[in-house]
Amino acid sequence: MQSQKSKSLEEIRSELKELLVVNLALEDITPEEIEDDGLLFGEGLGLDSLDAVEIVVLIQRNYGLEIIDEEQAREIFQSVNTLARWVHENLGD
Amino acid sequence: MVNVVITGIGAISAAGADLSETLATFEKGRARAGALSLFETSLTYPVFEVKNLRRKARGDEMRSISLALCAVEEALTDAELSSGLSRFRVGVCLGTTVASQLNDMDFYRAYRSGKPMSMRSVDRYLKGNLAEAVGRAIGLRGPSLTVVNACSSGADAIGVALSWLRDGVCDIAIAGGADELNIVPLCGFGALGILSDSICAPFDRDRKGLNLGEGAGVLVLESEEIARKRGKPSLLQLSGYGSAADAFHLTAPIPDGSGLESALEKAMSEAGIHAGDVCFVNAHGTATPDNDKIEGSVFRRIFGSEIKFLSSKGFVGHTLGAAGGLEAAFTAAALREGWIPGSAGFAQQDEEILLSPVRETTPITGRFAVSTSLAFGGNNAAIVMSRGSVDASGAQNRGDA
Amino acid sequence: MNVTGAGAVFARGRGIGSLEDALREGWTAPSRKPVASSPGEMIPVYSVEEKTIIDKAVLKKMRRADRFSKMAVLAAWDAVKDGGIEIGEGGARLGIILATAFGPQVTAFRFLDEIIDHGDASVSPTLFSHSVHNAAASYVASALGNHGPTLTVTQFGLSFHQALILARAWIREGRCEHVLVGSVEECGTVMEHICSKKLEIAEDGKIRPFAFSPSPSAVPGEGSVFLLLSREDRGKKYCELRGVFLDDESAEADPDLRILDADGMSEDETRYQEIAGQDVLIGGYSPLFGSMLTGSAFHCAAAAVMLKNQTLYACPVRDNPHDARVCASTEQKNLERIQCVSYSCRDERAVIELSR
Repeated sequence: MQSQKSKSLEEIRSELKELLVVNLALEDITPEEIEDDGLLFGEGLGLDSLDAVEIVVLIQRNYGLEIIDEEQAREIFQSVNTLARWVHENLGD
Repeated sequence: MVNVVITGIGAISAAGADLSETLATFEKGRARAGALSLFETSLTYPVFEVKNLRRKARGDEMRSISLALCAVEEALTDAELSSGLSRFRVGVCLGTTVASQLNDMDFYRAYRSGKPMSMRSVDRYLKGNLAEAVGRAIGLRGPSLTVVNACSSGADAIGVALSWLRDGVCDIAIAGGADELNIVPLCGFGALGILSDSICAPFDRDRKGLNLGEGAGVLVLESEEIARKRGKPSLLQLSGYGSAADAFHLTAPIPDGSGLESALEKAMSEAGIHAGDVCFVNAHGTATPDNDKIEGSVFRRIFGSEIKFLSSKGFVGHTLGAAGGLEAAFTAAALREGWIPGSAGFAQQDEEILLSPVRETTPITGRFAVSTSLAFGGNNAAIVMSRGSVDASGAQNRGDA
Repeated sequence: MNVTGAGAVFARGRGIGSLEDALREGWTAPSRKPVASSPGEMIPVYSVEEKTIIDKAVLKKMRRADRFSKMAVLAAWDAVKDGGIEIGEGGARLGIILATAFGPQVTAFRFLDEIIDHGDASVSPTLFSHSVHNAAASYVASALGNHGPTLTVTQFGLSFHQALILARAWIREGRCEHVLVGSVEECGTVMEHICSKKLEIAEDGKIRPFAFSPSPSAVPGEGSVFLLLSREDRGKKYCELRGVFLDDESAEADPDLRILDADGMSEDETRYQEIAGQDVLIGGYSPLFGSMLTGSAFHCAAAAVMLKNQTLYACPVRDNPHDARVCASTEQKNLERIQCVSYSCRDERAVIELSR
């Protein structure tokens, strides 16, 4: 299996979209249709507080990264891009 | 409408093996959360564990049932009903969460491994419906029902008992809740990000979440007439119960608190009182950022900023299905004893709530008290209790004079 | 109180019309599923098909919900629509009582999988939230936009009966004008495994309600039924629910039909023989929906349909070794009163009485 650290930002974006659709049971949208910069919460993809804590667990399970608190989560979870960038930066550590 | 009185109170939790130990703990203001010792876990959140469960479990009796029977037996003794129950139709309505699930890890691991396994855990579970088991253990003749409404189960169970008594379904009701510490809610609440890794601080500005606890809180309820006829008139009355659903979200409470407000209004209307008549509130107060903000805002809106209130979860943790029962027991005891404890864990007012709970033991002088519960799934429950004086003939004096 | 609406989700489909069709059409074979951890062993099960619980409109805010919650919401929704009441802001005062014996145990076991496979600190909060008994009722309230009292209750013996008793109390004390009372049970691999070990399974897939056996045969089933119960001044689309009588309490006169909850879930069904010995026509319809601890809800709905239609339906499985007076043909009939009789595992008897 490919080492996490060598994954490209593009690969991580793609994986995240897949994880979101499958694990959050998103309906009527494929991973490819999720916009990179689209808002994940509220008016965008329409995710809610339960999805937020689910994503925290998904990130921990799939990338071994801990999101420390709600404030950090709010910053990182704005879009697939912000989330992917944070994962990519921290995988490199 | 049938007047329903409270003739017995029983409680067991980390704060005490019975009500009098609990009240002593409340007076001293000492909260005892600590490391979990009941089962293995990698999680290190502090919990409020019952350390002095004196009752020996009979056979395969689940811990929640043992806890419930401790509180039930204490309440029945308090009500002078330890014997002679067979004369009455006695209903049992108890709330729980853990005891309702087949969540025996050893059983499930054996199932997954495909090895032959005994059905002992299943049999234990099938004999372990909380209300049924308690009714059987005490030999009761009457309805039994277990309420599984998450964190408002205990309060809702008391509401069910009130309806039963008013409708003549039974003569006496034992109602409240019981729950044990268990790996499932520990992991689940941890995953939801609402457990605190330090001792909980309800309504405090810097609160970080809840601590799980365990225990049982139970009331003996009966019609005023039956209580008087058997020579046990009571000063305490269960005056009203209100329940309302947020219909908003599975895990998040509705931000405007309208569900809780509705439950409070229904309970007070049923009791025939206004918000100004309430002398204190025993809050749900879990110490999560959301709950306390919403609940506190509702209190300020409905009761005004001078209302005396507390959360007892700083002393016993969040006991899930037992919480409503324990808090009803504490509310009844407070009315009987004439004081409420300081709200353990609170230090600094939160400027988003603009209300502070009482910080020390506080005498109460009024007649009416409220206990509130807010549950996962959006259930809101409010209970109104009252106290009046008893005249020489033992008749209930409403204190209207 | 009156039965003013009904909804059902079960192996034969969705809607009270599906139950009516099943009553008319008679027995059909259950599906067969492999028993996990017993290779080669199959078990007959009356399962709800996936297509039955697809409804993008009603379930639009329920993408994460499990089958247990979806079955409940669809049955409840249909009962309210069937009853034609307006709810939500300014609408009727409606309470909800959901009765279940085992709760959402499929999801509860999936959550145990999480703990075992991923460790205590890395489990799904979504699965946890859906593993609690009251998730389904919460979804029902949300789907209907209803803010009245919402309760989930559980008992292994007489959950549904106790729910009916409470509903009547709520209506009589003025807490609600209507109460949605329902049951939900779900099968799954663990439960099927437990059933295969603890119950006598009917190998040919036929529950025999009139065998009155000391070790009766079962076919596990799953599904949800909701009845909309209303204050007496609200008219009655189906029938009046006159009462629930427990233990030695007895209803008044002999009914036109006594439906027996004999479905193999209790250890000993010889007690039903005493009921059958009385000179009253008896029925048993669990071969249509399967064995469930809350199966009495289905029988109650069936009785309501019969009273509304003034029709007796032939029992789907009529094996009758004790020569009881079994309802053997479907016919229009003047029906005044039907009783549904249950014996719980603990010998408690409960009778639900319904009348025109």
